[in-house]
Amino acid sequence: MSLSERIENLMMSVQKPVRYMGGEFNAVMKDPDRVDVRYAFLFPDTYEVGMSHLGMKILYHAINARDDAWCERVFSPWVDMADLMRRDGIPLFSLESRTPVKEFDLLGITLQYEMSFTNILEALDLAGIPLRSADRTEGPFIICGGPCAFNPEPLAPFVDLVALGDGEEETLQTIDLYKQWKAACLPREEYLRMAAQIPGIYVPSLYDVVYNDDGTVESVKPKPGSGAPEVVRKAFLKDLDTATYPEKLIVPYGEIIHNRIMLEIFRGCTRGCRFCQAGMIYRPIRERSIDRLMKMADSLISSTGYDEVSLMSLSSGDYSCLPELAHRMVERFGTRRVRISLPSQRIDTVLTDTLKETQKVKKTALTLAPEAGTQRLRDVINKGVTEDDLIRSVTDAFEQGWSAVKLYFMLGLPTETDEDVLGIADLAEKVRKCYFSVPKERRAPGLRITVSASVFVPKNDTPFQWAPQLDYDTVVRRQQLLRQALSRLKGVDFKYHAPDLSYIEAVFARGDRRVGEAMERAWRMGCRFDGWSDQFRYDLWLKAFEEEGIDPNFYALRPRPTDEVFPWDHLDCGVTKGYLLREWEKAQRAECTHDCRRGCTGCGMKRYPGACENR
Amino acid sequence: MRALIRFGKQPRLRFISHLDLQRFFQRAVNRTGLPIAWSQGFNPHPVMSFGSALALGWTSEYEVIDIKLSAPMGRKRTEDAVRAALPEDLPVLEVRMVDDRHAAPMSLVRMSDYVVRLEGENAPAVIGQIPAFLEREVVEAIKKTKSGEKTINARPLVLSLEALDADRFRTRLMLTESQSIKPELLVGLLSDMAGVEAPMARVHRTMLLGLGAEGSPAPLMTL
Repeated sequence: MSLSERIENLMMSVQKPVRYMGGEFNAVMKDPDRVDVRYAFLFPDTYEVGMSHLGMKILYHAINARDDAWCERVFSPWVDMADLMRRDGIPLFSLESRTPVKEFDLLGITLQYEMSFTNILEALDLAGIPLRSADRTEGPFIICGGPCAFNPEPLAPFVDLVALGDGEEETLQTIDLYKQWKAACLPREEYLRMAAQIPGIYVPSLYDVVYNDDGTVESVKPKPGSGAPEVVRKAFLKDLDTATYPEKLIVPYGEIIHNRIMLEIFRGCTRGCRFCQAGMIYRPIRERSIDRLMKMADSLISSTGYDEVSLMSLSSGDYSCLPELAHRMVERFGTRRVRISLPSQRIDTVLTDTLKETQKVKKTALTLAPEAGTQRLRDVINKGVTEDDLIRSVTDAFEQGWSAVKLYFMLGLPTETDEDVLGIADLAEKVRKCYFSVPKERRAPGLRITVSASVFVPKNDTPFQWAPQLDYDTVVRRQQLLRQALSRLKGVDFKYHAPDLSYIEAVFARGDRRVGEAMERAWRMGCRFDGWSDQFRYDLWLKAFEEEGIDPNFYALRPRPTDEVFPWDHLDCGVTKGYLLREWEKAQRAECTHDCRRGCTGCGMKRYPGACENR
Repeated sequence: MRALIRFGKQPRLRFISHLDLQRFFQRAVNRTGLPIAWSQGFNPHPVMSFGSALALGWTSEYEVIDIKLSAPMGRKRTEDAVRAALPEDLPVLEVRMVDDRHAAPMSLVRMSDYVVRLEGENAPAVIGQIPAFLEREVVEAIKKTKSGEKTINARPLVLSLEALDADRFRTRLMLTESQSIKPELLVGLLSDMAGVEAPMARVHRTMLLGLGAEGSPAPLMTL
């Protein structure tokens, strides 16, 4: 029986068999004998999550635009399928041609979230690929990219290359290099050594880590003679208008998380929110022109048949000509019954006009993220919004016919007090009053306010990388404090989770290579799909750390001195450690830093030639 | 004007549920560039309907979708546009343009033809029961319905049944709202008669039929 038939036999007995089916409209099929390089792109989560991810779509398209390479998709099989595959000896396979992943030349893995790391080990194991880079003598080279690549140290023993920054060009360079390497019949290590010369590519095995007696890092330095750079600078694209973007998107059969056209209107963010890793590592801001976006939308609507275009970015309200863009989109595509939607609303941008435009086609839920309950704490995190901004936005929205508002907050931000937490309930109360201040005949019935409070995780490459995570017991106490305060408000729901997952996430965000050893142990005990609450095994994680002799508090809860060397200091994400430190010090004084569109704040991107024209 | 499109569902796509296929076609018709008629109301959607739902896991060469157009359109152009909007595993096999008064295909379906392949060592024993099955006038079967289980006589619902080889048979089964039987149930009955466990059945639909001019069975697309 062929592998394809064996896979199909399993599909009868698993949940959501479409996850493993392939054959979607616009999926790229090629003749394997007519390409030089076969590239497997693994998204280490389920099909529905991975197929909602823009970066994967961009790189899939960029690779498949080449005649000499074929990129195929791989997703983590859900636990039911993984167990059956193990039972029947079926290796991890690509969706397009159902080829074992082991037979590919390159295996790209995107790191979107620390809690998907065990899925990478699970995938390698299912593929029959030795987990450790040092143990591999054949099979694909493993290349990780994405936001978590800026601290890849926990994964260092397992991966071959790490791609920092914008992936469009560096991914193609790793393919070019692979062809050269293969044609020259060089040994495996030679590919790694040569790849270290590509801008943005970090090769962990070429670096030595030295630890201090107290467990902190003394240095991470390239091995003598390796030729690898002391500091690896991220790759970046100067101009998104000329950058490749898919003209076709794969249209899945089943429902996925974001089943719509995602149009990236800009990359990077100028706000400088101090908790936000994306706001730091994707700098500088690069906008696509309206003309380019109109052309992209036009071809994507025709090639997919989707009826919704989402204008994506880190802060879409900040697009410099948003009203004009929204207006032209609604005008051109509204007659084709295509909705235009705007995610990640900020509350300090002028929403009204854009909201009106969006509403012409369909009303979407209003989601706002004040992040903190008091002005003092919002100043600490540099979320440059005021209560007045929030009140104005929700009042506008209620007057336009919205009745559901979602408010996102974080608990455990640096310097947080009980008063800040109770401030969240005050804000919710004020939002409620805004609704009732709109005359009954003008407002939509059925007020629903959802307050979500996640637990803050300090991330590498942010001003809060020196901050301790708030301890478990205090988080729980403040959650209950807020729950009680909100329970007095009618029409307000409160959503929160146990801090377990955020705690492990915090260990990985600022972890080093030793944390990777504990991760392998946890995976061997059965940890996988940790980001899924029904799969997450906090008990096993704690056991794995203990057996490995690692204190997770050292990574999550320890305040770090400002002169500490971090495990990721040799990886340059664009902003400098000096800038981050200045921001950390200002945070502790609750001082704001202005949006850098109003003047350069000296983040360090100017060190990259042509990256930032800001004055 | 409406377009009746017969299409196939190849083995690779047999795990798409009927609901997912409906959603898929909503986007697929947008891709055709044809003047699609939209429903009125709060949540407008393209006006279309299917001849009959295909169960998860089955393949087919006779699925029918009925798409309403808001302007006249030639058959060839419609066929080309629909073909370009579907993946190769959902091949367009036949297109017929009808006017708005034409009955909905769903209301015309009376029966369906299948070829069923049985997997595993029990296949010949199960196939071997076909003559005995045909000789009986009553074959009791337990049918699961929304309101529970009920006992029916399955025999009259099996209009024809014929072995093709050691592991395949061809059959024509009733397919109306009140009277229908699935091939898997038939396999179960034959297996019970043979005294073996029911083998896994790969079901392939070869035709949907209604009643023609003389009241005799006729392919749905010709009605």
